[in-house]
Amino acid sequence: MLEQAPLALGLAAFGCAIGLGLIGFGAMNGMARQPEAIGKLQTAMLIALAFVELVFLLTVFVGLGSLKA
Amino acid sequence: MNLITGFQFLLAAGDAEGGHHEASPMAQFYGLMVLIAIVALVTFLFLGSAKKGLNTKFFSKTTTKLLEQLYVFIEGLAIGIIGPHGKKYIPMMMTFWLVIFVSNLVALLIHASPTSDIAFNLGMALIAVGYVQYEGMRSNGVVGHFSHFAGPKLPIAMAVFITPMIFLIEIVSETMKNVSLSLRLYGNIFGGGEAVVAMNKLGYNGDTFLLPVGDFLFPIKLLTCVVQALIFCLLFAVYLSLVTHHHEEGHDHESHGEAAPAH
Repeated sequence: MLEQAPLALGLAAFGCAIGLGLIGFGAMNGMARQPEAIGKLQTAMLIALAFVELVFLLTVFVGLGSLKA
Repeated sequence: MNLITGFQFLLAAGDAEGGHHEASPMAQFYGLMVLIAIVALVTFLFLGSAKKGLNTKFFSKTTTKLLEQLYVFIEGLAIGIIGPHGKKYIPMMMTFWLVIFVSNLVALLIHASPTSDIAFNLGMALIAVGYVQYEGMRSNGVVGHFSHFAGPKLPIAMAVFITPMIFLIEIVSETMKNVSLSLRLYGNIFGGGEAVVAMNKLGYNGDTFLLPVGDFLFPIKLLTCVVQALIFCLLFAVYLSLVTHHHEEGHDHESHGEAAPAH
């Protein structure tokens, strides 16, 4: 169990990075198309980033718990 | 490393049982409390004197404009997300922003901070979600607020089965708001500190620090400080907009609900 926890964290980071990248990609596209909507796009983007990040953080807690146990 | 523990020792100067090599957890706790008290004192002094109109006399323009910019920023957030009636939630959001941001700034310097403690974050999340429930009850009434949980009006035959289920799910999601708010803040700040410690080991030569590699994460941690404080306020505003946007049926120009996410 102890050896697999870092690998699990790496995999979680992998997925989280893809998700965050997709969000950033979409937001950048939208901002480039409509520069006047940047404020709203940033708000929505930050909310989406927060929700994606939370999944990764939950994984981190599970992984750290199994590391310390 | 010596500088950091020395700083913690300095903070814990009032503690009677000093004299260990490293400051005890209790001493660190008291030190942080003293630090928070000092920061709160300074903040309230600023805000109090700004309210009295002394800022043009005693404070330089820079300080005043900095705080005014912060206020304008929070005001734009509140009005953009909650709507025109969001002005009265500005003090609450401002308080959350200041508390979280200042606490996060503590985490930049020492490997401890109020927001890297799950208890502090959970307490703040409970306050935020409890305030959201209170505001929902005040604007929709107690019955209206809880019937808002029960979903749309359905025919009686379907309502018997579906409405309790929706109600249960909504209650669970309402409870999970606490968990999500507190864990996000805790994970980001505590995880940032852990990453610094882990990367500092890369420059450790067995007995001396050659290069504190982890401390070069400082810019990213600074970004995290701002973004996490912003996200807490943002989600607080979104939760407020979800519970309070039903009650203004009188003037429904479409000025609210466009920045808020789909319900």
